[in-house]
Amino acid sequence: MTDWQPTLGAIDRDGALTEALAEITGETRAGFLRGAVLGGAAMLGALARPPAASARLTDVGILNFGLRFERLQATFYTQADQMGTIKTMPARKQVWAETLGSHERAHVRIIKKVLGREAEPRPTFDFGAANETDENFTRTAVAMEDLTVALLGGVTPVVNDRRLTAALFGLLTVEARHAAWARHIVGASPSPKPFDTPRTLDSVAGAVRRTHFIAARPNVSASRHAPRYTG
Amino acid sequence: MARRRRRVVAIAAAATAAAAVAIAVTAAAPSHGPVPRRTLPAPLAPAFTPGAPVGLGDTRFLSRWAPVRRPAIARQDPQPDAPAVARIATRTPEGTRNIALVVGRAQDAQRRAWVRVSLATLPNGSTGWIPRAAIGGYETVDTALDVDVERLRLTLRRSGHVIFRARVAVGAPATPTPRGRFYVRNRLTRYRSAMYGPVAFGTSARSPTLTDWPAGGFVGIHGTDRPDLVPGRVSHGCIRLRNADILLLARRMPVGTPIVVH
Repeated sequence: MTDWQPTLGAIDRDGALTEALAEITGETRAGFLRGAVLGGAAMLGALARPPAASARLTDVGILNFGLRFERLQATFYTQADQMGTIKTMPARKQVWAETLGSHERAHVRIIKKVLGREAEPRPTFDFGAANETDENFTRTAVAMEDLTVALLGGVTPVVNDRRLTAALFGLLTVEARHAAWARHIVGASPSPKPFDTPRTLDSVAGAVRRTHFIAARPNVSASRHAPRYTG
Repeated sequence: MARRRRRVVAIAAAATAAAAVAIAVTAAAPSHGPVPRRTLPAPLAPAFTPGAPVGLGDTRFLSRWAPVRRPAIARQDPQPDAPAVARIATRTPEGTRNIALVVGRAQDAQRRAWVRVSLATLPNGSTGWIPRAAIGGYETVDTALDVDVERLRLTLRRSGHVIFRARVAVGAPATPTPRGRFYVRNRLTRYRSAMYGPVAFGTSARSPTLTDWPAGGFVGIHGTDRPDLVPGRVSHGCIRLRNADILLLARRMPVGTPIVVH
């Protein structure tokens, strides 16, 4: 295992994550690219926000954000699988990508079931070219898995229901394995430091929002618009 | 020397005595007496546990579409300098977001992503390549519509299973319904035009004869104010259903559904 750390510049070719994180810190994009090591102090520091925002959240709100984030990941992996991106990868990467996809789909299924009628509708996702090629897919997956660990580390202790805390710990450890596996795949240290600083939901939400991976639903239906078909 | 020997002997004697005491205590202990049990608390039962990993499922019947985010020129090949074959707008003539049915993808020499899309242009059935960046996020549908203009029958399938059938009216001999592969582009409701019934779907198919029709002569799938003409060959190319049938179809067929007319 090498000590090489994937920088945001290397991972985030489309610039979506970089733009988002640079905006949070107020740094220039170029400055962020130079300094930000994925999972390192710069990136995780960028995610830090006062914990007050999370404290106002209800358990349902936290679970719904978790559902949104799990859906984001599940859709990312599922689309890559359906499009054939994963089939172009070497065998060991295929196993990795397919396994993570199947886990994220299982997470979506259970959280949706737990929330029942409280579950938010599925958002629309736009990953651009992030899951179109092996290279883009891998780099984005590494960033997303690290973000997921940061998110769960931040929200798990603040939920009120202790049994829910226990469940989220179960997700957190699995997501940490995903993150370590993803880092191993790109040749980075699976465990680069002795302690992961937890992040607030609000800060992770901001980072995700600025990637534009969650997009507006296209308006493909209309009322009161007269048809102009041939009839 | 003698002093050191005396110390060693004393240590050995003390160790022997301690061992003897330990053996005596062990032997004296009752063999079936109550043993105080000190257990750790059981793990807290989690509020939920995910089930087994969820596989990808059957992808044979999936089709992908995406909204057109910015105007694009469709090209013959996935290269910026390849000949242009069509211009793709972001809006349909009805004002809804235009969508593209994605049928392939590739990368150019600069490793930019391109997608091959089904074109809503004449000649019907054309495809072209546009930059991936011109379209938004993918949506998938597992439905497929089959229109048999010979038997005047429409069949909707989901994941390969028939979920709806209806009789239809199609184009008259002078204005035939074009055959080929198309897709549903939009869905209109609550308009003031009884001749289209309560719901109308726009498609990517264009009339090969009514080329000067307003808005380009696109073929629709809609209801009718003349149910007596269904089934039949009476339309300007559109596929007409009785109003009860178009309402049932509208509950089952999402935008983006691929269409085969044969």
